[in-house]
Amino acid sequence: MTQFDLTHIGRCFGAVTALDDVSLTLSSGEVHALMGENGAGKSTLIRILAGLDRPDTGWLALDGTALPRNSPASIRAAGLRFIHQELHAVSGLSIAENMHLDHPYPRRLGLVNWRALNTAAAQALGRLGLGRLDPRRPMSDLGPGDQMLVRIAATLIGDGPSAPWLYVMDEPTAALTSEESERLFDVIGDLTRQGAGILYVSHRMPEVLRLADRVTVLRDGHRVSTQPLSETSQQTIIEQMTGRDLSGLFPDRHGDQAPGPEVLSVVGLRAGRVISADLSVRAGEILGVAGVAGSGRGALLQAIVGAIPAEAGTVAVNAVRVRGSPAEAWRHGIAYVPRERRSQGLMLGRAIFENVALPHLGALARAGLFLNHGRQRRLARDLGRAVTLKAASVDQSCRELSGGNQQKVLFARALAGNPRVLLLDEPTRGVDIGARFEIYRLIHRLSAQGIAILMASSDLPEIIGLCDRIAVMRDGRVAETLDAEGLSEAALLARFYHIDKTEQVA
Amino acid sequence: MWLIRRFGGLFGMIAVVVFFAASLPETFLTLRNWLNIGQQISMLAVIAATMTVVMVMGDFDLSVGSMASLSGIVAATLFVQDWSIPAAVAAAVAVGLAGGLFNGIIVSLVGILPFVGTLATLTVFSGLAFLISDGRTIFGRDIPAPFGDFARGGPPLASVDDRVLLLPNLVIVAALVVLVVWVVLEQTTYGRRLYAIGGNREAARLAGVPVRTLRLTAFAFTGVGAALAGLMYASRVASANPTQGDGLMLTAIAAVFLGMTLTRDGQPRVLATLVGVVVLGVLDNGLTQMRVDSYVREVLVGTIILIAVGLSALGRDGLVRR
Repeated sequence: MTQFDLTHIGRCFGAVTALDDVSLTLSSGEVHALMGENGAGKSTLIRILAGLDRPDTGWLALDGTALPRNSPASIRAAGLRFIHQELHAVSGLSIAENMHLDHPYPRRLGLVNWRALNTAAAQALGRLGLGRLDPRRPMSDLGPGDQMLVRIAATLIGDGPSAPWLYVMDEPTAALTSEESERLFDVIGDLTRQGAGILYVSHRMPEVLRLADRVTVLRDGHRVSTQPLSETSQQTIIEQMTGRDLSGLFPDRHGDQAPGPEVLSVVGLRAGRVISADLSVRAGEILGVAGVAGSGRGALLQAIVGAIPAEAGTVAVNAVRVRGSPAEAWRHGIAYVPRERRSQGLMLGRAIFENVALPHLGALARAGLFLNHGRQRRLARDLGRAVTLKAASVDQSCRELSGGNQQKVLFARALAGNPRVLLLDEPTRGVDIGARFEIYRLIHRLSAQGIAILMASSDLPEIIGLCDRIAVMRDGRVAETLDAEGLSEAALLARFYHIDKTEQVA
Repeated sequence: MWLIRRFGGLFGMIAVVVFFAASLPETFLTLRNWLNIGQQISMLAVIAATMTVVMVMGDFDLSVGSMASLSGIVAATLFVQDWSIPAAVAAAVAVGLAGGLFNGIIVSLVGILPFVGTLATLTVFSGLAFLISDGRTIFGRDIPAPFGDFARGGPPLASVDDRVLLLPNLVIVAALVVLVVWVVLEQTTYGRRLYAIGGNREAARLAGVPVRTLRLTAFAFTGVGAALAGLMYASRVASANPTQGDGLMLTAIAAVFLGMTLTRDGQPRVLATLVGVVVLGVLDNGLTQMRVDSYVREVLVGTIILIAVGLSALGRDGLVRR
């Protein structure tokens, strides 16, 4: 039996401890599930395991022999292979060629030996019971599920001494349909029967319960437990994943006045991944949107702001219908802080004041057309103060700011138009703990001013601590709305997985 | 390194002027020569300024050269049919506007890459120019005298050696176009939104910038600019042939890139573009006066563009690595 050990792994980023003394043993013939909330340290652990990051303490060892250097090449030589949720397929090439992307093509007289190429591919596919796939067909004919299976089969093509035996799968089913997932599970079964080990990282509880032989739970960078599946249960795993102590991080809601009239109303909305959403947010209320990754919680905000065109349903602000484009949404007083600050939010190379003023240029201009730079700078300075932005001046370029301050620039932008509705997608993603607290206080202050706030977050303590009510999304639908008061993380997580006996968990 | 990156281009340009001033002491630094340069570069200035409008969005327009040819041909053909000068000029500008909007539609609404889309319209406009003119040059008595005189005329500026120097009308037109583009890009919300699209198109869209409409309309500037430049050229040579604008497109793009090496953030800006145009004009003028062979001249000008843009790119990478 082959075995790969991670021993006493620790990793800090500045003052933040991402991993603290985590040890893990991965064995051939076994599916080992790795679970934990966002921020528990899973991604850091996988990056270290892939040789992309070096641990501050601890070591990696194959069958008791420590790896000399932690690099992608040495990891590969140790027989590890990584299957990511994002697929890197060259759609114009055939299946067989895609399978040979990181191997030399078989050749004869210096030219590609197409017959040998296709045979090698067909053999590898056959070993995983994928004989139905013709290696000569273009990769673009396949759906994401089959493309992933092809990638797994590709690892079986002749590697000699460093033959793969341990597969790390990071949220492999995130983009797959349930039938495609079934086929992946069959392949995982084939692989383990042939002696391979699997490290299976997933949020999806049913998959873990079905596939795993052993489960490791991480929380806040610590390993909470490693147990055979037979000795643990869904409830235990959920309890082990949650239970962070964050009291004091969430400021008290001063004022606590009752919410006002309905401001944002969403009826029967269907757009992209959002299959059906009905929501109502009142003035001064904070409504959370929660659910597992891929449940459509981010897509819901994008649909409301009109970035994803609606196929059905309506969005209305103060009973006035908003029709389908971000420009229209901003005009109706909907402000949006996107999740991907850098790619969707900021013009990184440009000054803070330009980023703040962007959606409001028309309102700030003289005669609606000619710019008034002074007014833009004043506005950015005033709002910068309101959101506790730390910057040398409003002429500083956004690239030079920290993540937290970049996020505050986007808040300032959202506030510049005196919005009635504020949409926040993962407002504290990649923000350090101090700035996080300031952003929480800011959200509360805005809500006290009567803004209706809709906030999507994958951070359970955050969404329970900040929100009045929480809309739970499952498979693109707003499945239910819960009161946040007194809700435990475990109970909320259980709703994500649609477990009915919440009383036992809570 | 920072100094070279920020001001290297400017120093290089000053060095070029000093070099020519020293090599051609009699003629180079005279008002007459500079007015001459101004006249030579006025068409390029108009095209490059309007090209800047689309380049701030990260797009570009390859069809401007053949649009310039087409607009000259349209005006000249209408002259042959006894249209008045204002009517024919207006018609040619309208053709430019229509062509520009067509470019905008295929790039923005249809979603064809600007390189591919405007490469196709380059061919289309050029073919139309040949079709309308039958491939002939229209000149002589077909062109009304006042049209040709416009380029030669202008308000008197100074008198040197008993000869009155005129400020060429073409320079005035070019200055007006640059001014308009400057106001649009730097002083209106419209222009800042174009810069926002260039800065981060997705972020601009999510911040409520109507990206499609703006991209579509911005191409109208290059169309009209190209048509104006074509008319200026036709006026200067008092004739029109279906290939006379061809050289303008690449030079205009080169001028914008040269200008981008001068700006603090590496963005296209119209005044920087104007400096780029002047540098290319000065190089051409000085090398011609030094009797450098025209083929050698092309090699030299191309090399200088490569060095300027290359140094600026190296400087930026160096900054990233640190």
